[in-house]
Amino acid sequence: MTRRLSRETLIKWAPLLVLIALVIFFTALNPTFFSLRNFARIAIAAAPALMVAVGVTFIIVMGSIDLSMEGTVSMTAVSFAFIFAQLGGSLGGLGWVAIPLVLVLGGLIGVLNGLVHVKLKIPSFMASLAMGFVGTGAAILLTGGDIVKVSDAAFRGLLTVRWLGFPLMVYIAAFFLFAGWFIQTHTTLGRNFYAVGGGEDLAHASGLNVTRVRVTGFALAGVFYAIAAILVVARIGQAESVTGANFMFVSITSVVVGGVALWGGIGGVWNALVGVLIVNVIDNGMVVIGLPDFLQDGVLGLLVILAVVLSTDRKMVSFVK
Amino acid sequence: MSTFIKDFIERETVSRRNFLFAAAAGMGAAAMPGLLGSGNARAALTDPAIAWSYRDRASAYWNSVVSGGEAFVESLGRPKSALVSLINEGSTEKSLADIKAFLAKNNGNCAIACDANDSPNARPVVEAVQAAGAYISTIWNKTDDLHPWDFGDNYVSHMTWSDEKPAEETARILFEAMGGEGGVVHLGGIAANNPAVERLAGLKNALKDFPKIELLDAQPADWDTQKGAALMASFLTRYGDKIKGVHCANDNIAYGVIEALRAEGIENMPIVAYDGNPEAVQMVMDGQLLATVFTNPHWGGGISAALAYHAAIGTFKPSEEPKEHREFYGPTILVTAKDAAEFKAKYLDSVPAYDWKDFWGPSNGQIQYKA
Repeated sequence: MTRRLSRETLIKWAPLLVLIALVIFFTALNPTFFSLRNFARIAIAAAPALMVAVGVTFIIVMGSIDLSMEGTVSMTAVSFAFIFAQLGGSLGGLGWVAIPLVLVLGGLIGVLNGLVHVKLKIPSFMASLAMGFVGTGAAILLTGGDIVKVSDAAFRGLLTVRWLGFPLMVYIAAFFLFAGWFIQTHTTLGRNFYAVGGGEDLAHASGLNVTRVRVTGFALAGVFYAIAAILVVARIGQAESVTGANFMFVSITSVVVGGVALWGGIGGVWNALVGVLIVNVIDNGMVVIGLPDFLQDGVLGLLVILAVVLSTDRKMVSFVK
Repeated sequence: MSTFIKDFIERETVSRRNFLFAAAAGMGAAAMPGLLGSGNARAALTDPAIAWSYRDRASAYWNSVVSGGEAFVESLGRPKSALVSLINEGSTEKSLADIKAFLAKNNGNCAIACDANDSPNARPVVEAVQAAGAYISTIWNKTDDLHPWDFGDNYVSHMTWSDEKPAEETARILFEAMGGEGGVVHLGGIAANNPAVERLAGLKNALKDFPKIELLDAQPADWDTQKGAALMASFLTRYGDKIKGVHCANDNIAYGVIEALRAEGIENMPIVAYDGNPEAVQMVMDGQLLATVFTNPHWGGGISAALAYHAAIGTFKPSEEPKEHREFYGPTILVTAKDAAEFKAKYLDSVPAYDWKDFWGPSNGQIQYKA
């Protein structure tokens, strides 16, 4: 009994141990890795990806998958830039209104995503992927392929103003991470995600409106993608139809590396955080230790496999598909 | 034996017999046009359908290429929509499949301009076009052993841009701004892309004349703004104050570099870029960038379509043209602080009207291959 318990504990903490091991490894090879300035750099790169990962965590916990993040991030980023400019282009003026509007837009895209999935009974994989393409297409339509600049100094303060060494955007991401944790542990909705992911038939038989939980989950994910979009614009000062590119790989990898099981019911936002940090620490660390660029992709792949091997309880899985 | 396997064997046996019948019928059908006279021997086409096969609409570069193609079809008195977009989305398979479908739909009566997405794909694309009796001009991607003159008239021309010399010039501007000494980092394109290779080679050429400049690191940022920002941040951790200048493989990467530096409160870092996008030209005017290079994609897009079209309708006969008219470099214009305003007024604020029959005027000489 105790042996079983310790094994479970080990697996639960494995992603964090992997993260700590990576930090020690990179620091040993180049001590400048372990500095506040570098951690701030990693945090800046990780903040938007973390929001996407938290959003998709809810969906994966439900046992579904959401691949619409690239389109949704592009679409909401471009919409934000346009609305912000339309309302005066300054956070001091009416520009702030663009933020809640874009969060609502993200939620609506999520609702649509969820409805396509549950009403048309299309697997979430396909429904969300398709909706993602629609989002990217809409972003191209809006921009005509051009870049939309957001250079308001107050808004860019999210990147340029620091507090205890970290830019404000990092604190915003941390705040919404806690919001995600609160939803996950202290709301009925959060518990329902686990009920659906742990055993959908049982949840349904217990009188849970699974359809509504799923649609709400996708809406919530959409809101987090919109937060990610706003943070990306804060980070690079521009929005375009490829703003969301790469977020699918980074977020899904992070969530899985962090120990959220793709078959649902296991893991949560802290796993997403650790996973995003692992991926970003690897990205940053490989450059900082001077690993040749042609090795970087291969090493990233190997480390991802290693992290998943260490952090999932494969004894519980009878077969993998 | 399970029924599944039994059914499978039965079905395969039947379908093999059907296949043999179908093959016999097909060969007969294929021989018929040959007996009735080849369809491929057409000397010139009348009113061919015009298409541009390219990557996507999500970048200023390809939009500009397409706008050139549209300007050309409008010069023929046709609507913009007469230019068919074959968008490959970065997929080589889709590039070839779309072109084959376009050839089939128009029965070979086509003039196509194309970037084949990757070098090896240019050969099957050109062979498909020749087999259908259509005409094609390519840009950027082709292997060194593939030449228009080996395909008679159907492979009209290939244009590419030699990025080595302009990238060397931007590097010199960068090094002079750095006072001829200090460390420099290079943020490159996707490692295997030809322009990425050439732009780094240009930087290395310039280094030979500046012994006190040290190339600290060169890594790919995949032409991407966010990757550029993250890579620059990592470089700052590794090299810190040693970085005195930044050489970027394109404008998008430079935007990311500027933001990564902004986050650290670093201003006035000498940076050079490439592509001459409107935002980058504005940054040159504002002093955020030292230089960028314009390759006139609008003209490239228009002239590639024009070459294929005019060869197709018989305005000129490609096989009678000299080699420098079959394989040539496109124009490159260096944009620096002192000429940025003039450049912007001439090329960006209003698009110049080009003579689409002046096929080779702005071009830059025959393509040279390295041994």
